[in-house]
Amino acid sequence: MPVPTKCLNMKLTFNVDHGYLEGLVRGMKAGILTSTDYHNLAQCDTLEDMKLHLQSTDYGKLLSSSEEDLTVSLVDSKLRANLVTEFSCLRSNALPPLSTFLDYITYSYMIDNVVMLITGALKQRDVAELLPRCHPLGAFDQMAAVGIARTPTELYSAILVDTPLAPFFQDAVSESNLDEMEAEILRNKLYKAYIESFHSFCKNIGGVTADIMCPVLEFEADRRTFIITVNSFGTELSGADKSALYPSCGKLYPEGLRLLAKAEDHEQVKAVANCYPEYKLIFDDPEPGADFKTLEDRFFEQEVKLNMLAFLQQFHFGVFYSYVKLKEQESRNIVWIAECVTQRQKSKIHNYIPIFPGTH
Amino acid sequence: MSSLLRGEEMCLAQLFLQSGSAYDCISELGELGLVEFRDLNPSVTAFQRKHVNEIKKCEEMERILGYLLREVKKADISLPERDVNPVAPLPKHVMAIMEQLQRLEVELGEVTRNKEKLQRNLLELTEYTHMLRITRKFVQRTAEREPLQVQYEEFPFLEKETMMDYSSMQRLGAKLGFISGLIQRVKIEAFERMLWRVCKGYTILSYAEVEEYLENPDTGEPTKCVVFLISYWGDQIGQKVKKICDCYHCHVYPYPSSNEERNDVVEGLRTRIQDLHTVLNRTEDYLRQVLIKASESVYTWVIQVKKMKAIYYILNLCSFDVTNKCLIAEVWCPVNDIPTLRRALEEGSRKSGATVPSFVNRIPTSDTPPTLIKTNKFTSGFQNIVDAYGVGSYREVNPAPFTIITFPFLFAVMFGDLGHGVIMAVFAAWMVLCENNRKLKNTRNEIWNTFFEGRYIILMMGLFSIYTGLIYNDCFSKSLNIFGSGWSVKAMGWTKEQWENNRFLTLDPNVTGVFKGPYPLGIDPIWNLASNRLTFLNSYKMKMSVILGIIHMSFGVILSTYNYLHFRKKYNLYLVFLPELLFLLCLFGYLVFMILYKWLAFSAKDSRHAPSILIHFINMFLMQGDGLQPLYPGQTGLQIFLVVIAVLSVPVLLLGKPVYLYWLHNGSHRLGLYRGYERVRRNSEEELYLMRAHDMEEGSSHSDLSSSGENPTEEFDFADELLHQAIHTIEYCLGCVSNTASYLRLWALSLAHAQLSEVLWAMVMRVGLRMDSTLGVLFLVPVFGLFAVLTVSILLVMEGLSAFLHALRLHWVEFQNKFYGGTGVKFCPFAFSLLPSSFEHDGLL
Repeated sequence: MPVPTKCLNMKLTFNVDHGYLEGLVRGMKAGILTSTDYHNLAQCDTLEDMKLHLQSTDYGKLLSSSEEDLTVSLVDSKLRANLVTEFSCLRSNALPPLSTFLDYITYSYMIDNVVMLITGALKQRDVAELLPRCHPLGAFDQMAAVGIARTPTELYSAILVDTPLAPFFQDAVSESNLDEMEAEILRNKLYKAYIESFHSFCKNIGGVTADIMCPVLEFEADRRTFIITVNSFGTELSGADKSALYPSCGKLYPEGLRLLAKAEDHEQVKAVANCYPEYKLIFDDPEPGADFKTLEDRFFEQEVKLNMLAFLQQFHFGVFYSYVKLKEQESRNIVWIAECVTQRQKSKIHNYIPIFPGTH
Repeated sequence: MSSLLRGEEMCLAQLFLQSGSAYDCISELGELGLVEFRDLNPSVTAFQRKHVNEIKKCEEMERILGYLLREVKKADISLPERDVNPVAPLPKHVMAIMEQLQRLEVELGEVTRNKEKLQRNLLELTEYTHMLRITRKFVQRTAEREPLQVQYEEFPFLEKETMMDYSSMQRLGAKLGFISGLIQRVKIEAFERMLWRVCKGYTILSYAEVEEYLENPDTGEPTKCVVFLISYWGDQIGQKVKKICDCYHCHVYPYPSSNEERNDVVEGLRTRIQDLHTVLNRTEDYLRQVLIKASESVYTWVIQVKKMKAIYYILNLCSFDVTNKCLIAEVWCPVNDIPTLRRALEEGSRKSGATVPSFVNRIPTSDTPPTLIKTNKFTSGFQNIVDAYGVGSYREVNPAPFTIITFPFLFAVMFGDLGHGVIMAVFAAWMVLCENNRKLKNTRNEIWNTFFEGRYIILMMGLFSIYTGLIYNDCFSKSLNIFGSGWSVKAMGWTKEQWENNRFLTLDPNVTGVFKGPYPLGIDPIWNLASNRLTFLNSYKMKMSVILGIIHMSFGVILSTYNYLHFRKKYNLYLVFLPELLFLLCLFGYLVFMILYKWLAFSAKDSRHAPSILIHFINMFLMQGDGLQPLYPGQTGLQIFLVVIAVLSVPVLLLGKPVYLYWLHNGSHRLGLYRGYERVRRNSEEELYLMRAHDMEEGSSHSDLSSSGENPTEEFDFADELLHQAIHTIEYCLGCVSNTASYLRLWALSLAHAQLSEVLWAMVMRVGLRMDSTLGVLFLVPVFGLFAVLTVSILLVMEGLSAFLHALRLHWVEFQNKFYGGTGVKFCPFAFSLLPSSFEHDGLL
């Protein structure tokens, strides 16, 4: 019975190596804004008001320590910097296998950065201008040189071969010239490889980590599948092309993926989603009178729900992933509210996605 | 004294502050720290309040001050932290401070920016010189090695080219380019690898380390750098190389194409570096001057801004009256301080030159006021011990004044050693004498602060330990023979043989002349030699603990009467206090009586017939004991009577109060008896209220506002009351048994302490003293050192902490649960002195 022993061992020795960090991350989770905070933030009239309110939360003097005038982008970058500080604190204290787990979290940001740099280079943008726009969690040394590459093969063999992204390239190498379409395909291929690898990594760790992380990653895989399908309407991507991009570790695998590859319009996607109770809700038509929410928002909502579950159990790594994702969602919420405040769109201000709605 | 026993009498007062003078009045109140403000707009969020802009301004100033402080600290200028206490600046002076600060910030910002720019410039130039110096070596080195062909065998031709004149290369039609610069050492390997992969070998990289550490311009840390020179072929490769250089944050400098040019550049660089050095020095001097000037007043500013911010926070708690001309604030204030409060408001109005004075108005309230117990530096430590358990309910009996004596005493019972007590008392006395020393006071060491805060407690504990040490006759586990022992060995008339053949001999007090009477103070020192010392002391200390415990608990029960009388619950006196006291005294009080009786009634002569108290006590419950010799005539009858009383008091305690209350609330409606009484009372209360209102208009005050008795509209739930009383009864009756047992810890810890110090003496000190030779003197020094260290660390610190903890428990649990509710809210006045005083605390640094 190898798995239960492993499980037990993990629980027995978890606190020796990772107890401190788990405690830390649970403490930080307690600082996530509550619905009262959001309620108060939504009442603000200016960014200055928001700053004043955020001072009373765990963000403290984060926003007030700068001399410049507040702008939404400044808020965004400050929040992002805050998350990066917290994350790097966790990462620098982590021991394996948690350190590998945390590295896996950063890979998705790296993929996004690479693709962003490629598309930027295609549009003849200066690298110096692009670099600040990269997500700092996914920063790596060779980042600036990405623009040199002309084909995915070149990108792989010359630049990314000694980055952690290299293993994800096995399906993505091709000789076709990088254009915007190709970059997007590259992103999806990389992401497919990444998410499958992450999934099997979590499965290998086993125990509660697998119990928590696998559903989250499966959801993530399925979300990408749906989004790829919806975005591919009206492009020349064939069914086979599409199914090459679908991550195969989700709940949709294999039957759902096959059906989705054939789907031609929104109705067909919805028909596929109807077979799966988790996704049926997301694709359901909103009731008349209720607030309209985009598909993306509905997926985010579902993601927040899944991530909140991670905090119900102990001795696992899922809390780290969930914390980063929830914090990211929180940043998105604050930025959304800030945007609404600056653009005086008070009616849309409540379209944020609350985290931990029950807590006060 | 009455304030220490019950806490201050508080009242709710309304302050009417003229809007012109409100700021000054609040500032005046802040200096005094008399009142606690209540939030009158709890529904308004922080950023919608009236004085948000002023607070924002204060925060802006704090930000600038934080920047100033950081710069001052960076420049290593000491801050003059004087004991000045500037008052909050007037609103009209704030602008001046603000302007001054902003000017300083701009000036500082410019100078530091300039400085940084210059430093960066200087760094670039130094890097450039390093690069030129080292790349020349590359060329020279290859020139030297060329005939040997040792290195760069794959590209011998190319290497040769590098030294050739550039123009001749161009003539050859090949486009050879150079890029040279500096890169951090850690990155060089990855850099080399990527160059190789991207350019597929169309480049040559040679590099060498710079010996000195160069400052990293971003982080300011000294880092090792590497100078590199890339020679490449063709423009396209050049583009790529440049990009890779960018990617690795290389500092690229132009590579001179000829030797003359190189020499020119080096020459030019040297002069420029010199110039830069002078300019940089001047800038730094100027910066320092600016900072020194700023550091003189920065402390004052910090305090002023902090006070100002606090005042605006308070103003945000106030509400406007209908006419908008004056602010209304509601405060909790000690009744005795109302005249001071009034004077402070007058002072504030006078300062701001307001024509209409601000004034105080007492308002009646049904809210429970916060608890304020005024303490001084001596009582505050003991009050803290009580508060750590729970802040007393309003006007409840405060155990702190009794704790002042009982706490050190119970501690000393467990810590009874003259020598240890003296050390502890001397240490505490030193702290007390040096309490005004700023170095001791302002330290940030938390452990030290704990000791320092409790210096008076430690002093008392030390003094009491000296006393109990004298009683136990214990000084570092040895006894002192001050008055001469009351026992005489001579009178026993032992012969020489008896001396030599027996290891143990028994002194018999019944032989005349052996026992001459008790030792005047404490235990006779001869017991230190006795082999049955432990048995003797154990019996004595155990009985003493029980006696002290029963007295302590009975005192607690008696204190509860003060609460019952004060809160007008007289029925509790008969239905709770009386059965409780009877239960305790009939059972355990009788035990104490038996202990004392046995001590007094049996002397050495008839000690063989002395009965066991334990057996008698057990028999008392079993109501038998015919086989035993009674202690005194009529013992059985008295015992049965006491047990019956104790047993009867339990149902009274259990049912008395709930049934009485039930009858009071329900039965009285039917009987109409208490109704009339209550109506009379309520009428009189209304009259009182009217009278008070009248008085308040005149400005005088009545003092018995807060003691207006229980709320007549209170809901009564019989089941609830019964359940509470049942829990209380069970807790009390079982508690009497377990708490009495709990006091045995006095004996146990005292025993442990005495034994531990004896072991320490026997295992360490005696070993040193056994050495007879002259060397023994030298040996004694380290032995005494060890003894001293172990005495302080184990006996004083560890044992002291454990005795402290147990004394704490005896007070919190055994003593205070007899009468103390501890469900109050602490009064926290608005006082500037409570603002964090050091810079570190408020995040400025």
